[in-house]
Amino acid sequence: MKERSITYLSDAHMITCVLQKDLAEAVLSAAKSLGAQGSTISYARGTGVRERMGLLGVTIDEQKEVIRIIVSEEQANLVFEAMFLAGKLDSPGMGIMYMTKLDRLATYVPDAILQSADQS
Amino acid sequence: MRYSDYLNAVSFKHKTISYNILAPAVDPNSQGRPAKLDISLKQSLALIGPYCFSRIMEQVKAVVPLAAYLILFQTLILRHPIDSALMLGGGLAAVIIGLAIFMEGLNTGLMPFGTIIGDNLPKKAAMSVVLIIIGILGVGVTFAEPAIGALQAFGSSVDVAKAPYLFELLNNWTLPLVLMVGAGVGLAAILGTVRFVRGWSLKPMIYCALVPVMLLTGYAWLDPNLRSILGLAWDCGAVTTGPVTVPLVLSLGIGIANAAGKGESSLSGFGVVTLASLFPILAVLILAIFLSFTITPDEIIEAASLAQSAVMSEPSVWDQTPLVEIVSGVRAILPLVVFLMFVLFVVLRSKLPNRLVTIYGLTLSIVGMCVFNVGLTYGLGAIGAQTGGVLPAAFMELPVSQFSPIFPELVGIVIVIGFAFLMGFGATLAEPALNALGLTVQNLTNGAFKKSMLMYSVATGVAVGIALGIAKLVLGFDLATVLIPLYLLGVVLTIFSTEEFVNVAWDSAGVTTGPVTVPLVLAMGLGLGSAVSAVEGFGILSLASICPILAVLTMGLVIQYVNKHKNREDETTGSEVFI
Repeated sequence: MKERSITYLSDAHMITCVLQKDLAEAVLSAAKSLGAQGSTISYARGTGVRERMGLLGVTIDEQKEVIRIIVSEEQANLVFEAMFLAGKLDSPGMGIMYMTKLDRLATYVPDAILQSADQS
Repeated sequence: MRYSDYLNAVSFKHKTISYNILAPAVDPNSQGRPAKLDISLKQSLALIGPYCFSRIMEQVKAVVPLAAYLILFQTLILRHPIDSALMLGGGLAAVIIGLAIFMEGLNTGLMPFGTIIGDNLPKKAAMSVVLIIIGILGVGVTFAEPAIGALQAFGSSVDVAKAPYLFELLNNWTLPLVLMVGAGVGLAAILGTVRFVRGWSLKPMIYCALVPVMLLTGYAWLDPNLRSILGLAWDCGAVTTGPVTVPLVLSLGIGIANAAGKGESSLSGFGVVTLASLFPILAVLILAIFLSFTITPDEIIEAASLAQSAVMSEPSVWDQTPLVEIVSGVRAILPLVVFLMFVLFVVLRSKLPNRLVTIYGLTLSIVGMCVFNVGLTYGLGAIGAQTGGVLPAAFMELPVSQFSPIFPELVGIVIVIGFAFLMGFGATLAEPALNALGLTVQNLTNGAFKKSMLMYSVATGVAVGIALGIAKLVLGFDLATVLIPLYLLGVVLTIFSTEEFVNVAWDSAGVTTGPVTVPLVLAMGLGLGSAVSAVEGFGILSLASICPILAVLTMGLVIQYVNKHKNREDETTGSEVFI
């Protein structure tokens, strides 16, 4: 039986971005153009800002899309800024995003990269 | 220095402040409600812009392709210029804007009522009270349905001498007509809800509803004066199941099914549409037969000629253009709103979660309905009637068209029927409700019935139905002689189909008749009918309802057969290997 092992990855950040439904596409493509490899999108319902905006609250969709992207530390700031700009988060009610440092990450790592990491 | 630190330093300007500053301090007097945000004018415009744009674009997608198809066909193939193009354009714009406003009002104003009532009513009131409220709601939503205005708007084009009862129903009995249709929808909503809760099968309900419909249809068909109302009666079924009725009635029904602990069934939610498109037929037939006992055709014709001479003298202010549409718009929405408020405040003693937004939504739905009504007359109705009126120029001589007949008779008829087929196919595929139904069905059947398969079979069904309806007007065959065999075929297919497919198939008919298609098809049918001097131009919608049912049922049976066959094959090959 083949011996199995696990490789931990360090220096990883997770960016979470909460956006109105149907606005995720632009943010995703901005993130991907800067090297983000993939993302997880889930649907959610948000509260808070609609109530605080009075009648203007109707322009904000209650349905949200939550994007989670894991990026390397080197990409993190660039991707974060690009997503912020693409999502127009600098206007009221558009959404919120945050980045957290991940302790430990594991996924499939290609053999070539494993070998080059061993050699260095 | 690490590369990431470097990037951090050179990227665009940023600064860090503490979230403590942004988080509002709790004011002990504010009762826990956070302070309102200050939003500048520029920022609010940036918010309102995309909000309006996306909602208008949704309606543009529904209206423009269909209108463009009609206009192109009329100018290129029928070689007839568009009359009063400016008015048409304005009317279509009014339809788009009116529908966009109305739908937004429906979602922000009316739907919250439906959800709150659906969630809370079954817990607080007895079953009988709930059912009565649902029944009354059925009447209310029928009035609020945008397409129902089309029936009233096009009534005046009926020739009183040829179809006296139809004329009387559409002109002097509109209120009882809509009331009866509403009563049919209400009864359907009640029975549909009872079905949710008890978990009854839909099949016997279809049979039971069809028997009296068939009997009355037969009776009306035998009476030469009543025969002309059959088209209207059967079309009413298709008109009722629109964007107001279906979600509001469903949200109540599903709330009740949840409260009774029966909400888990994957089929809850189906069936109401089916019943809501069968019972109004019955109701209108009953009304027409009642009418035939109270008044004779001669009296109607006499009264109509009298009324005609009276109208010539002085149209009152309320009958003039923008006012009459506004009055009918308010009349359509207000009863429903008042009733919903009564249930919420008096029966439930509950409050609205967000009063400002609800008032905004209710205002929008009334304004949207008024604008849509204007557009209905000058946009959809006008273009449908115009194209319908010129359509026969393809195969016969028409005074309005100098080129007519454009084609030899047979070719012309084929072109006209092909035109109707394509229109039905395209309009149905574009209907967003069909997409949603397709997804539901795909999940329900674990992928056996694919979404695209359902969409194409429904679209083909509608296309065949509309083509048949046009053929009925052009060739002048009798509606009942087509409808009754088709429905009997539907019953036979239903007997052999499984419960899931029966639910899906019978509901698919109601999905396809939205607020754009219905007025357009009605107006086209009436225009065409008067151009070829048929007695009446109704009946297209009813054929467009039954044909998709047949298409989906057949498709379901084919899938069943193929699956069974495949399983048997798998078994035999499996056993061979075993031996």
